[in-house]
Amino acid sequence: MKSTNEPTIGQSRRVAVISDAMTGIDPMVVQDLSGRVTTPDQLGEPSIISLCDVTMRFPIPKRYREWALHPLRPGRVVTALQHASAEIQAGDRIAVMGPSGAGKTTLLKLISGLLFPTEGEVTVKGLSTVHHNAAARKSVGFVFNEERSFYWRLTGIQNLEFFGALDNLEGAQLKQRIRELIRLVGLESAGDQLVSGYSSGMKQRLALARVLIADPEVLILDEPTRALDPVACDEMVNLILTDIHRGARKTLLIATHRPEEAAILCSKLMVIHGGFIKGSVNLSSLSNEGTTLLDYYRRCVTAEKPA
Amino acid sequence: MRAFLSKAIAFVMRDFRIESGYKAAFIMGLVESLMLLVTLHFIGRLVPVHASASLGKYGRGYFPFALIGVAFARYFDLMLRMFSDSIRTAQVTGCLEAMLSSRTGAVTVVTLSSLYSLISGALQLVMILVGGVLLFGVNLSTMNVPATLLVLLLSISIFVGFGVLSASAIVWLKKGDPITWVLGGMSAILGGAYFPIDVMPAWMQKLSYVIPIRYSLEALRSTMLGGANIVTVARPLATLLAIAVILSPVSAALFTAAVRKGRREGTLVQY
Repeated sequence: MKSTNEPTIGQSRRVAVISDAMTGIDPMVVQDLSGRVTTPDQLGEPSIISLCDVTMRFPIPKRYREWALHPLRPGRVVTALQHASAEIQAGDRIAVMGPSGAGKTTLLKLISGLLFPTEGEVTVKGLSTVHHNAAARKSVGFVFNEERSFYWRLTGIQNLEFFGALDNLEGAQLKQRIRELIRLVGLESAGDQLVSGYSSGMKQRLALARVLIADPEVLILDEPTRALDPVACDEMVNLILTDIHRGARKTLLIATHRPEEAAILCSKLMVIHGGFIKGSVNLSSLSNEGTTLLDYYRRCVTAEKPA
Repeated sequence: MRAFLSKAIAFVMRDFRIESGYKAAFIMGLVESLMLLVTLHFIGRLVPVHASASLGKYGRGYFPFALIGVAFARYFDLMLRMFSDSIRTAQVTGCLEAMLSSRTGAVTVVTLSSLYSLISGALQLVMILVGGVLLFGVNLSTMNVPATLLVLLLSISIFVGFGVLSASAIVWLKKGDPITWVLGGMSAILGGAYFPIDVMPAWMQKLSYVIPIRYSLEALRSTMLGGANIVTVARPLATLLAIAVILSPVSAALFTAAVRKGRREGTLVQY
Protein backbone atom coordinates (compact mmCIF):
# COMPACT_ATOMS: atom_id res chain seq x y z
CA MET A 1 0.00 0.00 0.00
CA LYS A 2 1.35 3.32 -0.97
CA SER A 3 0.17 6.26 0.97
CA THR A 4 1.01 9.64 -0.35
CA ASN A 5 -0.25 13.13 -0.73
CA GLU A 6 1.53 13.53 -3.98
CA PRO A 7 -0.87 13.13 -6.81
CA THR A 8 0.12 10.51 -9.26
CA ILE A 9 -0.70 11.68 -12.68
CA GLY A 10 -1.34 9.73 -15.78
CA GLN A 11 -2.72 6.61 -14.21
CA SER A 12 -5.80 5.41 -15.94
CA ARG A 13 -7.14 3.60 -12.92
CA ARG A 14 -6.88 4.64 -9.36
CA VAL A 15 -8.75 4.35 -6.15
CA ALA A 16 -9.03 7.19 -3.76
CA VAL A 17 -9.75 6.06 -0.28
CA ILE A 18 -10.71 8.90 1.90
CA SER A 19 -11.43 8.15 5.46
CA ASP A 20 -11.20 9.74 8.80
CA ALA A 21 -14.54 10.98 9.83
CA MET A 22 -15.65 7.82 11.53
CA THR A 23 -12.42 6.71 13.03
CA GLY A 24 -10.59 9.91 13.60
CA ILE A 25 -7.65 8.37 11.81
CA ASP A 26 -5.87 10.95 9.83
CA PRO A 27 -5.61 11.16 6.23
CA MET A 28 -5.17 8.45 4.03
CA VAL A 29 -4.92 8.61 0.37
CA VAL A 30 -4.36 5.33 -1.27
CA GLN A 31 -3.86 5.32 -4.96
CA ASP A 32 -3.68 2.22 -6.92
CA LEU A 33 -0.63 2.09 -8.94
CA SER A 34 0.29 -1.39 -9.91
CA GLY A 35 -3.02 -3.05 -9.51
CA ARG A 36 -2.72 -3.21 -5.74
CA VAL A 37 -5.67 -1.59 -4.12
CA THR A 38 -6.55 -1.06 -0.52
CA THR A 39 -10.16 -0.29 0.14
CA PRO A 40 -11.83 0.85 3.33
CA ASP A 41 -13.46 -2.54 3.60
CA GLN A 42 -10.03 -4.02 3.93
CA LEU A 43 -9.39 -1.52 6.64
CA GLY A 44 -12.60 -2.45 8.37
CA GLU A 45 -14.41 0.74 7.49
CA PRO A 46 -17.58 0.42 5.46
CA SER A 47 -17.99 3.17 2.88
CA ILE A 48 -21.25 4.95 2.28
CA ILE A 49 -20.44 5.67 -1.36
CA SER A 50 -18.39 3.49 -3.63
CA LEU A 51 -17.33 4.10 -7.19
CA CYS A 52 -15.79 1.13 -8.90
CA ASP A 53 -14.01 1.79 -12.18
CA VAL A 54 -16.71 4.16 -13.38
CA THR A 55 -16.67 5.55 -16.88
CA MET A 56 -19.30 7.90 -18.25
CA ARG A 57 -19.63 8.63 -21.93
CA PHE A 58 -22.16 10.96 -23.45
CA PRO A 59 -23.17 10.43 -27.08
CA ILE A 60 -22.82 13.37 -29.43
CA PRO A 61 -25.81 13.60 -31.78
CA LYS A 62 -24.88 12.96 -35.39
CA ARG A 63 -25.03 15.89 -37.75
CA TYR A 64 -26.98 15.70 -41.00
CA ARG A 65 -23.67 15.54 -42.88
CA GLU A 66 -22.55 12.55 -40.80
CA TRP A 67 -25.88 10.83 -41.33
CA ALA A 68 -25.60 11.38 -45.06
CA LEU A 69 -21.95 10.37 -45.48
CA HIS A 70 -21.67 7.63 -42.85
CA PRO A 71 -25.17 6.46 -41.95
CA LEU A 72 -23.97 3.21 -40.38
CA ARG A 73 -20.96 4.53 -38.53
CA PRO A 74 -21.51 4.70 -34.79
CA GLY A 75 -21.95 8.20 -33.42
CA ARG A 76 -19.17 9.98 -31.58
CA VAL A 77 -19.07 10.15 -27.81
CA VAL A 78 -17.52 12.47 -25.29
CA THR A 79 -16.00 10.81 -22.25
CA ALA A 80 -16.80 12.85 -19.16
CA LEU A 81 -15.36 10.49 -16.57
CA GLN A 82 -12.88 7.66 -16.97
CA HIS A 83 -12.16 4.70 -14.75
CA ALA A 84 -12.98 6.58 -11.58
CA SER A 85 -12.84 4.62 -8.38
CA ALA A 86 -13.32 5.98 -4.89
CA GLU A 87 -14.61 5.02 -1.49
CA ILE A 88 -16.26 7.70 0.59
CA GLN A 89 -16.92 7.26 4.27
CA ALA A 90 -19.96 8.41 6.22
CA GLY A 91 -19.43 11.88 7.64
CA ASP A 92 -16.75 12.86 5.13
CA ARG A 93 -16.74 16.40 3.79
CA ILE A 94 -15.21 16.28 0.36
CA ALA A 95 -14.54 19.17 -1.97
CA VAL A 96 -14.59 18.09 -5.59
CA MET A 97 -12.49 20.51 -7.58
CA GLY A 98 -11.40 20.71 -11.16
CA PRO A 99 -11.55 22.98 -14.18
CA SER A 100 -14.87 23.57 -15.92
CA GLY A 101 -15.83 20.48 -17.88
CA ALA A 102 -13.52 18.27 -15.84
CA GLY A 103 -16.29 15.87 -14.88
CA LYS A 104 -17.26 17.14 -11.42
CA THR A 105 -20.98 17.43 -12.04
CA THR A 106 -21.01 14.12 -13.89
CA LEU A 107 -19.40 12.43 -10.90
CA LEU A 108 -21.92 13.96 -8.52
CA LYS A 109 -24.87 13.09 -10.73
CA LEU A 110 -23.65 9.51 -10.97
CA ILE A 111 -23.54 9.30 -7.20
CA SER A 112 -27.02 10.78 -6.92
CA GLY A 113 -28.40 8.23 -9.41
CA LEU A 114 -29.44 10.88 -11.90
CA LEU A 115 -27.02 9.35 -14.39
CA PHE A 116 -26.21 5.72 -14.97
CA PRO A 117 -22.56 4.90 -15.65
CA THR A 118 -21.57 3.62 -19.06
CA GLU A 119 -19.15 1.25 -17.34
CA GLY A 120 -18.43 0.37 -13.75
CA GLU A 121 -20.66 0.64 -10.74
CA VAL A 122 -21.71 3.27 -8.25
CA THR A 123 -23.17 2.12 -4.97
CA VAL A 124 -24.70 4.11 -2.15
CA LYS A 125 -24.92 2.22 1.13
CA GLY A 126 -24.20 -0.93 -0.85
CA LEU A 127 -27.05 -0.34 -3.29
CA SER A 128 -26.32 -0.02 -6.98
CA THR A 129 -27.60 3.27 -8.39
CA VAL A 130 -28.59 1.40 -11.55
CA HIS A 131 -30.24 -1.70 -10.20
CA HIS A 132 -31.65 -0.20 -6.99
CA ASN A 133 -31.98 3.36 -8.16
CA ALA A 134 -34.93 4.38 -5.98
CA ALA A 135 -33.49 2.80 -2.85
CA ALA A 136 -30.04 4.27 -3.45
CA ARG A 137 -31.48 7.74 -4.07
CA LYS A 138 -33.14 7.71 -0.66
CA SER A 139 -29.82 8.38 1.00
CA VAL A 140 -28.75 11.17 -1.30
CA GLY A 141 -29.89 14.77 -1.66
CA PHE A 142 -28.69 16.87 -4.58
CA VAL A 143 -28.57 20.67 -4.48
CA PHE A 144 -28.55 21.85 -8.07
CA ASN A 145 -26.69 24.94 -9.13
CA GLU A 146 -29.46 25.76 -11.54
CA GLU A 147 -31.58 28.69 -10.48
CA ARG A 148 -34.33 27.35 -12.63
CA SER A 149 -35.14 24.22 -10.73
CA PHE A 150 -38.16 25.74 -8.98
CA TYR A 151 -41.65 26.72 -10.03
CA TRP A 152 -41.34 30.46 -10.22
CA ARG A 153 -45.08 31.05 -10.06
CA LEU A 154 -45.31 29.26 -6.72
CA THR A 155 -44.13 30.61 -3.40
CA GLY A 156 -41.10 29.20 -1.64
CA ILE A 157 -43.29 27.30 0.80
CA GLN A 158 -45.54 25.97 -1.98
CA ASN A 159 -42.45 24.71 -3.79
CA LEU A 160 -41.27 22.97 -0.63
CA GLU A 161 -44.74 21.47 -0.11
CA PHE A 162 -44.63 20.01 -3.59
CA PHE A 163 -41.10 18.63 -3.43
CA GLY A 164 -41.71 17.44 0.14
CA ALA A 165 -44.65 15.37 -1.08
CA LEU A 166 -42.35 13.79 -3.67
CA ASP A 167 -40.08 12.83 -0.79
CA ASN A 168 -42.99 11.00 0.84
CA LEU A 169 -43.77 13.57 3.51
CA GLU A 170 -47.32 14.77 4.06
CA GLY A 171 -49.72 16.62 6.29
CA ALA A 172 -48.61 18.11 9.60
CA GLN A 173 -45.23 16.40 9.46
CA LEU A 174 -44.42 18.08 6.15
CA LYS A 175 -45.63 21.49 7.30
CA GLN A 176 -43.60 21.24 10.49
CA ARG A 177 -40.51 20.21 8.53
CA ILE A 178 -40.95 23.11 6.13
CA ARG A 179 -41.30 25.57 9.02
CA GLU A 180 -38.05 24.28 10.52
CA LEU A 181 -36.17 24.42 7.25
CA ILE A 182 -37.43 27.82 6.21
CA ARG A 183 -36.17 29.09 9.55
CA LEU A 184 -32.89 27.20 9.16
CA VAL A 185 -32.11 28.73 5.78
CA GLY A 186 -33.28 32.17 6.84
CA LEU A 187 -36.25 32.53 4.53
CA GLU A 188 -38.96 33.08 7.17
CA SER A 189 -40.00 36.44 5.77
CA ALA A 190 -39.82 35.32 2.14
CA GLY A 191 -41.51 31.93 2.40
CA ASP A 192 -44.83 33.26 1.15
CA GLN A 193 -43.32 35.21 -1.73
CA LEU A 194 -43.28 33.91 -5.28
CA VAL A 195 -39.94 32.36 -6.20
CA SER A 196 -39.84 34.63 -9.25
CA GLY A 197 -39.05 37.45 -6.82
CA TYR A 198 -36.20 35.61 -5.11
CA SER A 199 -32.56 36.61 -5.50
CA SER A 200 -29.97 34.00 -6.54
CA GLY A 201 -28.92 33.59 -2.92
CA MET A 202 -32.50 33.04 -1.79
CA LYS A 203 -33.04 30.42 -4.48
CA GLN A 204 -29.86 28.66 -3.41
CA ARG A 205 -31.08 28.66 0.19
CA LEU A 206 -34.43 27.34 -0.93
CA ALA A 207 -32.64 24.60 -2.89
CA LEU A 208 -30.83 23.66 0.29
CA ALA A 209 -34.08 23.59 2.22
CA ARG A 210 -35.65 21.42 -0.48
CA VAL A 211 -32.96 18.82 -0.30
CA LEU A 212 -33.01 18.75 3.49
CA ILE A 213 -36.73 17.97 3.64
CA ALA A 214 -36.05 14.27 3.33
CA ASP A 215 -33.05 14.51 5.65
CA PRO A 216 -30.67 12.55 3.40
CA GLU A 217 -27.47 11.12 4.81
CA VAL A 218 -25.44 12.31 1.85
CA LEU A 219 -25.68 15.90 0.72
CA ILE A 220 -24.34 16.78 -2.70
CA LEU A 221 -23.91 20.44 -3.53
CA ASP A 222 -22.99 21.37 -7.07
CA GLU A 223 -21.24 24.73 -6.92
CA PRO A 224 -23.55 26.10 -4.22
CA THR A 225 -22.04 29.59 -4.28
CA ARG A 226 -21.51 29.95 -8.01
CA ALA A 227 -23.94 32.78 -8.62
CA LEU A 228 -23.66 34.46 -5.23
CA ASP A 229 -22.12 37.75 -4.19
CA PRO A 230 -19.41 37.61 -1.50
CA VAL A 231 -21.81 38.29 1.38
CA ALA A 232 -24.36 35.74 0.22
CA CYS A 233 -21.49 33.36 -0.41
CA ASP A 234 -20.29 33.71 3.19
CA GLU A 235 -23.79 33.23 4.49
CA MET A 236 -24.19 30.08 2.45
CA VAL A 237 -20.89 28.66 3.65
CA ASN A 238 -21.82 29.39 7.27
CA LEU A 239 -25.20 27.85 6.76
CA ILE A 240 -23.74 24.64 5.38
CA LEU A 241 -20.98 24.40 7.93
CA THR A 242 -22.62 25.64 11.08
CA ASP A 243 -26.25 24.71 10.79
CA ILE A 244 -26.25 21.74 8.51
CA HIS A 245 -23.05 19.77 8.92
CA ARG A 246 -22.42 20.46 12.59
CA GLY A 247 -26.01 19.64 13.44
CA ALA A 248 -26.37 16.43 11.51
CA ARG A 249 -22.87 15.21 10.58
CA LYS A 250 -23.94 14.54 7.05
CA THR A 251 -21.64 13.29 4.36
CA LEU A 252 -20.98 16.27 2.13
CA LEU A 253 -19.74 16.34 -1.44
CA ILE A 254 -19.29 19.84 -2.73
CA ALA A 255 -18.23 20.75 -6.23
CA THR A 256 -16.53 24.10 -6.13
CA HIS A 257 -14.05 26.31 -7.91
CA ARG A 258 -13.15 28.25 -4.76
CA PRO A 259 -10.21 26.91 -2.76
CA GLU A 260 -11.15 29.02 0.28
CA GLU A 261 -14.63 27.52 0.26
CA ALA A 262 -13.18 24.02 0.02
CA ALA A 263 -10.80 24.76 2.89
CA ILE A 264 -13.56 26.01 5.16
CA LEU A 265 -16.26 23.50 4.32
CA CYS A 266 -14.35 20.32 3.69
CA SER A 267 -11.86 18.02 5.28
CA LYS A 268 -10.83 16.34 2.06
CA LEU A 269 -10.17 17.24 -1.50
CA MET A 270 -10.69 15.32 -4.69
CA VAL A 271 -9.30 16.80 -7.88
CA ILE A 272 -10.75 15.84 -11.23
CA HIS A 273 -9.24 16.81 -14.52
CA GLY A 274 -10.03 15.64 -18.01
CA GLY A 275 -12.40 13.03 -16.67
CA PHE A 276 -9.81 11.43 -14.40
CA ILE A 277 -9.61 11.58 -10.64
CA LYS A 278 -6.18 13.12 -10.48
CA GLY A 279 -5.76 13.10 -6.77
CA SER A 280 -7.40 12.83 -3.39
CA VAL A 281 -6.03 14.14 -0.18
CA ASN A 282 -6.91 14.95 3.36
CA LEU A 283 -6.60 18.68 3.87
CA SER A 284 -5.06 18.42 7.32
CA SER A 285 -2.20 16.38 5.89
CA LEU A 286 -1.58 19.09 3.35
CA SER A 287 -1.25 21.70 6.06
CA ASN A 288 1.05 19.38 8.02
CA GLU A 289 3.30 19.27 4.98
CA GLY A 290 3.08 22.98 4.48
CA THR A 291 1.40 22.56 1.12
CA THR A 292 -1.55 24.73 0.27
CA LEU A 293 -4.72 23.38 -1.20
CA LEU A 294 -4.16 25.53 -4.27
CA ASP A 295 -0.65 24.13 -4.77
CA TYR A 296 -1.97 20.61 -4.60
CA TYR A 297 -4.74 21.47 -7.02
CA ARG A 298 -2.29 23.07 -9.44
CA ARG A 299 -0.03 20.05 -9.34
CA CYS A 300 -2.95 17.81 -10.14
CA VAL A 301 -4.23 19.78 -13.08
CA THR A 302 -0.96 20.91 -14.62
CA ALA A 303 1.43 18.01 -14.12
CA GLU A 304 0.13 16.22 -17.12
CA LYS A 305 -2.44 17.20 -19.64
CA PRO A 306 -5.13 14.59 -19.99
CA ALA A 307 -5.10 12.56 -23.15
CA MET B 1 -51.52 3.93 -1.64
CA ARG B 2 -51.87 6.83 0.78
CA ALA B 3 -48.48 8.17 -0.22
CA PHE B 4 -49.45 7.91 -3.90
CA LEU B 5 -52.68 9.82 -3.27
CA SER B 6 -50.77 12.43 -1.33
CA LYS B 7 -48.41 12.87 -4.26
CA ALA B 8 -51.32 13.00 -6.71
CA ILE B 9 -52.87 15.82 -4.68
CA ALA B 10 -49.52 17.63 -4.56
CA PHE B 11 -49.23 17.50 -8.36
CA VAL B 12 -52.80 18.69 -8.88
CA MET B 13 -52.34 21.50 -6.35
CA ARG B 14 -49.08 22.53 -8.01
CA ASP B 15 -50.64 22.80 -11.43
CA PHE B 16 -53.83 24.39 -10.14
CA ARG B 17 -51.83 27.08 -8.32
CA ILE B 18 -49.76 27.75 -11.42
CA GLU B 19 -52.67 27.69 -13.86
CA SER B 20 -54.93 29.81 -11.67
CA GLY B 21 -52.36 32.56 -12.09
CA TYR B 22 -53.13 32.64 -15.82
CA LYS B 23 -56.68 34.02 -15.64
CA ALA B 24 -56.78 35.19 -19.24
CA ALA B 25 -55.97 31.69 -20.48
CA PHE B 26 -58.86 30.27 -18.44
CA ILE B 27 -61.34 32.80 -19.86
CA MET B 28 -60.04 32.24 -23.37
CA GLY B 29 -60.55 28.50 -22.91
CA LEU B 30 -64.18 29.10 -22.02
CA VAL B 31 -64.73 31.42 -24.97
CA GLU B 32 -63.03 28.95 -27.32
CA SER B 33 -65.37 26.16 -26.17
CA LEU B 34 -68.35 28.41 -26.84
CA MET B 35 -67.04 29.35 -30.26
CA LEU B 36 -66.58 25.69 -31.11
CA LEU B 37 -70.20 25.00 -30.18
CA VAL B 38 -71.46 27.90 -32.29
CA THR B 39 -69.34 26.82 -35.27
CA LEU B 40 -70.57 23.24 -35.13
CA HIS B 41 -74.14 24.45 -34.70
CA PHE B 42 -74.07 26.50 -37.91
CA ILE B 43 -72.29 23.78 -39.87
CA GLY B 44 -75.02 21.47 -38.60
CA ARG B 45 -77.63 23.72 -40.18
CA LEU B 46 -76.02 23.20 -43.56
CA VAL B 47 -75.82 19.42 -43.31
CA PRO B 48 -79.08 17.53 -43.82
CA VAL B 49 -79.81 14.58 -41.55
CA HIS B 50 -79.91 12.18 -44.50
CA ALA B 51 -76.47 13.27 -45.76
CA SER B 52 -75.01 10.10 -44.34
CA ALA B 53 -76.21 6.84 -42.87
CA SER B 54 -74.32 7.59 -39.66
CA LEU B 55 -76.09 10.91 -39.21
CA GLY B 56 -79.47 9.35 -39.82
CA LYS B 57 -78.71 6.48 -37.45
CA TYR B 58 -79.65 8.47 -34.37
CA GLY B 59 -82.04 10.81 -36.15
CA ARG B 60 -80.49 13.87 -34.52
CA GLY B 61 -78.55 15.47 -37.37
CA TYR B 62 -75.02 16.75 -37.65
CA PHE B 63 -74.70 18.90 -34.53
CA PRO B 64 -75.11 16.15 -31.87
CA PHE B 65 -72.94 13.87 -34.02
CA ALA B 66 -70.13 16.43 -34.23
CA LEU B 67 -70.59 17.57 -30.63
CA ILE B 68 -69.83 14.10 -29.29
CA GLY B 69 -67.10 13.49 -31.85
CA VAL B 70 -65.24 16.78 -31.48
CA ALA B 71 -65.59 17.08 -27.69
CA PHE B 72 -64.20 13.60 -27.05
CA ALA B 73 -61.61 13.79 -29.85
CA ARG B 74 -60.22 16.92 -28.21
CA TYR B 75 -60.11 15.17 -24.86
CA PHE B 76 -58.35 12.12 -26.29
CA ASP B 77 -55.95 14.34 -28.20
CA LEU B 78 -55.11 16.07 -24.92
CA MET B 79 -54.25 12.68 -23.41
CA LEU B 80 -52.02 11.96 -26.33
CA ARG B 81 -50.01 15.10 -25.70
CA MET B 82 -50.21 15.67 -21.95
CA PHE B 83 -47.39 13.36 -20.87
CA SER B 84 -44.91 14.59 -23.44
CA ASP B 85 -46.00 18.18 -22.77
CA SER B 86 -45.47 17.76 -19.02
CA ILE B 87 -42.00 16.28 -19.59
CA ARG B 88 -41.06 19.05 -21.94
CA THR B 89 -42.38 21.72 -19.57
CA ALA B 90 -40.42 20.16 -16.71
CA GLN B 91 -37.30 20.07 -18.89
CA VAL B 92 -37.70 23.70 -19.91
CA THR B 93 -38.47 24.94 -16.39
CA GLY B 94 -35.50 22.97 -15.08
CA CYS B 95 -37.64 21.08 -12.57
CA LEU B 96 -37.39 17.62 -14.13
CA GLU B 97 -34.01 16.86 -12.63
CA ALA B 98 -35.16 18.09 -9.22
CA MET B 99 -38.22 15.83 -9.39
CA LEU B 100 -36.18 12.86 -10.58
CA SER B 101 -33.73 13.28 -7.74
CA SER B 102 -36.58 12.95 -5.24
CA ARG B 103 -37.81 9.71 -3.74
CA THR B 104 -40.47 9.36 -6.40
CA GLY B 105 -39.83 7.25 -9.49
CA ALA B 106 -39.73 8.68 -13.00
CA VAL B 107 -42.85 6.86 -14.18
CA THR B 108 -44.86 8.17 -11.22
CA VAL B 109 -43.52 11.69 -11.74
CA VAL B 110 -44.57 11.73 -15.38
CA THR B 111 -47.91 10.06 -14.77
CA LEU B 112 -48.89 12.40 -11.98
CA SER B 113 -47.58 15.44 -13.81
CA SER B 114 -50.39 14.92 -16.29
CA LEU B 115 -53.16 14.48 -13.75
CA TYR B 116 -54.21 18.11 -13.71
CA SER B 117 -54.47 18.15 -17.51
CA LEU B 118 -56.65 15.06 -17.33
CA ILE B 119 -58.97 16.66 -14.79
CA SER B 120 -59.13 20.09 -16.40
CA GLY B 121 -59.65 18.46 -19.80
CA ALA B 122 -62.52 16.43 -18.35
CA LEU B 123 -64.10 19.61 -16.99
CA GLN B 124 -63.78 21.27 -20.38
CA LEU B 125 -65.34 18.20 -21.99
CA VAL B 126 -68.28 18.37 -19.57
CA MET B 127 -68.64 22.11 -20.20
CA ILE B 128 -68.82 21.57 -23.95
CA LEU B 129 -71.41 18.81 -23.57
CA VAL B 130 -73.48 20.82 -21.09
CA GLY B 131 -73.22 23.86 -23.38
CA GLY B 132 -74.47 21.72 -26.27
CA VAL B 133 -77.43 20.57 -24.20
CA LEU B 134 -78.35 23.90 -22.61
CA LEU B 135 -77.59 26.33 -25.43
CA PHE B 136 -78.34 24.25 -28.50
CA GLY B 137 -80.86 21.73 -27.23
CA VAL B 138 -78.96 18.48 -27.75
CA ASN B 139 -80.95 15.70 -26.16
CA LEU B 140 -78.85 13.32 -24.10
CA SER B 141 -81.75 12.03 -22.01
CA THR B 142 -81.50 8.56 -23.56
CA MET B 143 -77.81 8.21 -22.68
CA ASN B 144 -76.82 4.88 -21.15
CA VAL B 145 -74.56 6.19 -18.40
CA PRO B 146 -72.84 2.92 -17.28
CA ALA B 147 -72.05 1.92 -20.85
CA THR B 148 -70.79 5.42 -21.64
CA LEU B 149 -68.53 5.41 -18.60
CA LEU B 150 -67.17 1.99 -19.50
CA VAL B 151 -66.36 3.11 -23.06
CA LEU B 152 -64.81 6.29 -21.71
CA LEU B 153 -62.70 4.40 -19.18
CA LEU B 154 -61.35 2.02 -21.82
CA SER B 155 -60.73 4.88 -24.23
CA ILE B 156 -58.87 6.85 -21.56
CA SER B 157 -56.66 3.87 -20.78
CA ILE B 158 -55.82 3.54 -24.48
CA PHE B 159 -55.04 7.19 -25.05
CA VAL B 160 -53.09 7.38 -21.81
CA GLY B 161 -51.10 4.43 -23.17
CA PHE B 162 -50.44 6.26 -26.43
CA GLY B 163 -49.63 9.37 -24.40
CA VAL B 164 -46.99 7.45 -22.47
CA LEU B 165 -45.62 6.15 -25.78
CA SER B 166 -45.47 9.73 -26.96
CA ALA B 167 -43.63 10.71 -23.77
CA SER B 168 -41.12 7.93 -24.45
CA ALA B 169 -40.56 9.40 -27.90
CA ILE B 170 -39.97 12.84 -26.39
CA VAL B 171 -37.46 11.43 -23.90
CA TRP B 172 -35.79 9.63 -26.78
CA LEU B 173 -35.97 12.22 -29.56
CA LYS B 174 -36.40 15.48 -27.56
CA LYS B 175 -38.54 17.09 -30.23
CA GLY B 176 -40.70 15.78 -33.03
CA ASP B 177 -42.83 13.08 -31.51
CA PRO B 178 -43.94 10.65 -34.25
CA ILE B 179 -46.66 9.04 -32.11
CA THR B 180 -48.65 12.24 -31.72
CA TRP B 181 -47.90 13.23 -35.29
CA VAL B 182 -49.19 9.99 -36.79
CA LEU B 183 -52.01 9.19 -34.39
CA GLY B 184 -53.15 12.76 -33.84
CA GLY B 185 -53.08 13.59 -37.53
CA MET B 186 -54.70 10.36 -38.65
CA SER B 187 -57.38 10.57 -35.97
CA ALA B 188 -58.45 14.02 -37.12
CA ILE B 189 -59.00 12.76 -40.67
CA LEU B 190 -59.93 9.11 -40.26
CA GLY B 191 -61.37 8.99 -36.74
CA GLY B 192 -64.81 10.28 -37.62
CA ALA B 193 -64.85 13.20 -35.21
CA TYR B 194 -65.96 15.94 -37.61
CA PHE B 195 -67.67 13.90 -40.29
CA PRO B 196 -69.03 10.37 -40.60
CA ILE B 197 -66.61 7.73 -41.80
CA ASP B 198 -69.08 6.52 -44.41
CA VAL B 199 -68.71 9.70 -46.46
CA MET B 200 -65.06 8.85 -47.13
CA PRO B 201 -63.87 6.68 -50.06
CA ALA B 202 -63.85 2.95 -49.38
CA TRP B 203 -60.06 2.72 -49.06
CA MET B 204 -60.06 5.46 -46.42
CA GLN B 205 -62.85 3.74 -44.55
CA LYS B 206 -60.73 0.58 -44.46
CA LEU B 207 -57.77 2.55 -43.21
CA SER B 208 -59.86 3.98 -40.39
CA TYR B 209 -60.11 0.53 -38.81
CA VAL B 210 -56.56 0.94 -37.51
CA ILE B 211 -57.41 4.21 -35.77
CA PRO B 212 -58.46 3.54 -32.16
CA ILE B 213 -60.53 6.70 -31.84
CA ARG B 214 -62.89 5.34 -34.46
CA TYR B 215 -64.04 2.64 -32.03
CA SER B 216 -64.27 5.06 -29.12
CA LEU B 217 -66.39 7.60 -30.98
CA GLU B 218 -68.56 4.93 -32.54
CA ALA B 219 -69.29 3.42 -29.13
CA LEU B 220 -69.73 6.80 -27.40
CA ARG B 221 -72.23 8.02 -29.98
CA SER B 222 -74.14 4.79 -29.67
CA THR B 223 -74.36 4.94 -25.88
CA MET B 224 -74.88 8.71 -25.57
CA LEU B 225 -77.17 9.43 -28.50
CA GLY B 226 -78.69 6.03 -29.15
CA GLY B 227 -78.89 4.79 -25.55
CA ALA B 228 -77.06 1.58 -26.51
CA ASN B 229 -76.14 -0.82 -23.72
CA ILE B 230 -72.90 -2.69 -23.21
CA VAL B 231 -74.02 -5.67 -25.25
CA THR B 232 -74.93 -3.51 -28.22
CA VAL B 233 -71.48 -1.89 -28.26
CA ALA B 234 -69.67 -5.15 -27.44
CA ARG B 235 -67.72 -5.13 -30.69
CA PRO B 236 -66.03 -1.74 -30.40
CA LEU B 237 -65.65 -2.37 -26.66
CA ALA B 238 -63.83 -5.65 -27.29
CA THR B 239 -61.52 -3.90 -29.76
CA LEU B 240 -60.79 -1.13 -27.26
CA LEU B 241 -60.16 -3.69 -24.52
CA ALA B 242 -57.74 -5.64 -26.71
CA ILE B 243 -55.81 -2.48 -27.55
CA ALA B 244 -55.72 -1.45 -23.88
CA VAL B 245 -54.46 -4.85 -22.72
CA ILE B 246 -51.60 -4.81 -25.22
CA LEU B 247 -50.77 -1.12 -25.07
CA SER B 248 -50.60 -0.47 -21.32
CA PRO B 249 -47.68 -2.77 -20.45
CA VAL B 250 -45.88 -2.03 -23.72
CA SER B 251 -46.05 1.74 -23.23
CA ALA B 252 -44.95 1.48 -19.56
CA ALA B 253 -42.02 -0.76 -20.54
CA LEU B 254 -40.95 1.53 -23.38
CA PHE B 255 -41.14 4.61 -21.18
CA THR B 256 -39.04 2.93 -18.51
CA ALA B 257 -36.52 1.94 -21.19
CA ALA B 258 -36.45 5.50 -22.54
CA VAL B 259 -35.81 6.91 -19.06
CA ARG B 260 -33.02 4.38 -18.49
CA LYS B 261 -31.49 5.33 -21.82
CA GLY B 262 -31.78 8.99 -20.88
CA ARG B 263 -30.04 8.35 -17.56
CA ARG B 264 -27.33 6.32 -19.24
CA GLU B 265 -26.67 8.90 -21.94
CA GLY B 266 -27.28 11.94 -19.78
CA THR B 267 -29.96 13.23 -22.10
CA LEU B 268 -32.93 12.99 -19.77
CA VAL B 269 -33.05 16.66 -18.94
CA GLN B 270 -31.96 17.90 -22.35
CA TYR B 271 -34.50 19.48 -24.64
